[in-house]
Amino acid sequence: MIVKLIRIEVQSRQDLEMIDITEQIERAVAGSGVRDGLVWAMTAHTSAGVLVTEGIECLERDVLAHLERLAPKQPPEGTYGYWHNRYLDFDGRLGFNAGDHLKSILSGVNCLFPVENGKVVRGSRQKAYFVEYDGPLARTVLIQVLGEGTPNDKT
Amino acid sequence: MRKPGIDFHTHPLLVREMVERHPELAKAARETYYIGNNFQPLETFHLELDLAGIEKAVVLPMDASTVAGAVVWTNEQVAELCRMSTRFIGFASVDPHREDAPQQLTRAVQSLGLRGLKLNPPMQRFFPDDPLAYPLYETARDLGVPILFHAGMSWEPGSRLQYGHPLRFENVAADFPKLRIVLAHLAWPWVVEAVALALKYPNVHLDTSALYFDNPRDFLRFAMTQQVPLTVFERSLRKQLVFGSNYPRVEIKNMAAAIDSLGFSEECLNMVFRRNADALLEAGR
Repeated sequence: MIVKLIRIEVQSRQDLEMIDITEQIERAVAGSGVRDGLVWAMTAHTSAGVLVTEGIECLERDVLAHLERLAPKQPPEGTYGYWHNRYLDFDGRLGFNAGDHLKSILSGVNCLFPVENGKVVRGSRQKAYFVEYDGPLARTVLIQVLGEGTPNDKT
Repeated sequence: MRKPGIDFHTHPLLVREMVERHPELAKAARETYYIGNNFQPLETFHLELDLAGIEKAVVLPMDASTVAGAVVWTNEQVAELCRMSTRFIGFASVDPHREDAPQQLTRAVQSLGLRGLKLNPPMQRFFPDDPLAYPLYETARDLGVPILFHAGMSWEPGSRLQYGHPLRFENVAADFPKLRIVLAHLAWPWVVEAVALALKYPNVHLDTSALYFDNPRDFLRFAMTQQVPLTVFERSLRKQLVFGSNYPRVEIKNMAAAIDSLGFSEECLNMVFRRNADALLEAGR
């Protein structure tokens, strides 16, 4: 049984942004030595997400716009407010990004693919995305590959 | 559409490249400045500026060696950061309790190329109008550099709010009419008092880096339209207000959007975001 954990850094450049990480996941699998098993990717943050959808730009825009409608950064005036808008002594700053945390919950923070014959098995249109909800920031994504195969210690 | 601006109030505490070179900066960020965010590559700072429509940022250290036994970035480290990016404008900090504070400031300006002085009376524990600090003010005036004072509320444990009350700056403004003073954070909660000072003393400026509850949009709307009408800033203080974010306690993008949303004229926004900062910085050159 091989269990390999890889940490990658993703630099977001916008406030809201979808970043395709399919290639990094495939590279992690290729370097792991796992022939048959699973690969799992998870963001280490609570104002970011990981999701799988069709890899086209128009859909990226729709995903971000819809999540912003469901969990706006600032609710429409006179509607409701966020409890999170308060001073967080452990962070030395105010937390006023509840909408971004809520987007993270709605989109999820991880994705999972089977691995077969050393390759990631996914639908032909499926792409794995890291999704930034409060950028720009350098973010960490954890990729873990588990399964049977031949360990590759060089990676 | 306003022109690319200057953020007059940022702290470079999270720049990872500097923390890797100088590991003690991690402790200063966490234990003296109490910021808990992850360290970030320099690129993130640049991207944050880009997203907010800001060209350059004033980067601030803080020397509280006498009272807190800590320096949150030395002047040399600020100068080092400024050599890594043309988008930074470095300010110095010196401990006013030290007898050689004026000489330290002179060196920081003349040898290191820093362009202003940051003082934090609540964290450095001195009253702004204490004669102790007057030699420093004389030096800043003679060098032609502005002083950015922390004013108003202080989160840091150990700091005392009384040192940041705006009325303790009146003697400084009156005794040093050629010294350009910026009171940070609108001196909140004493915004009315800070505005009174600025109305009376043309050498007193205010920066916008205030956020103590809610979110930037709602907080600044309260402070700059309800505590004091926006027309006072637009009509009377348009030359004395500078944009500041207090990054990384607040993201620059959020503070810039909040100021943009208040209802200032485009001409006034260009003054707040750029021209007033240019004027403060250029006078010393």
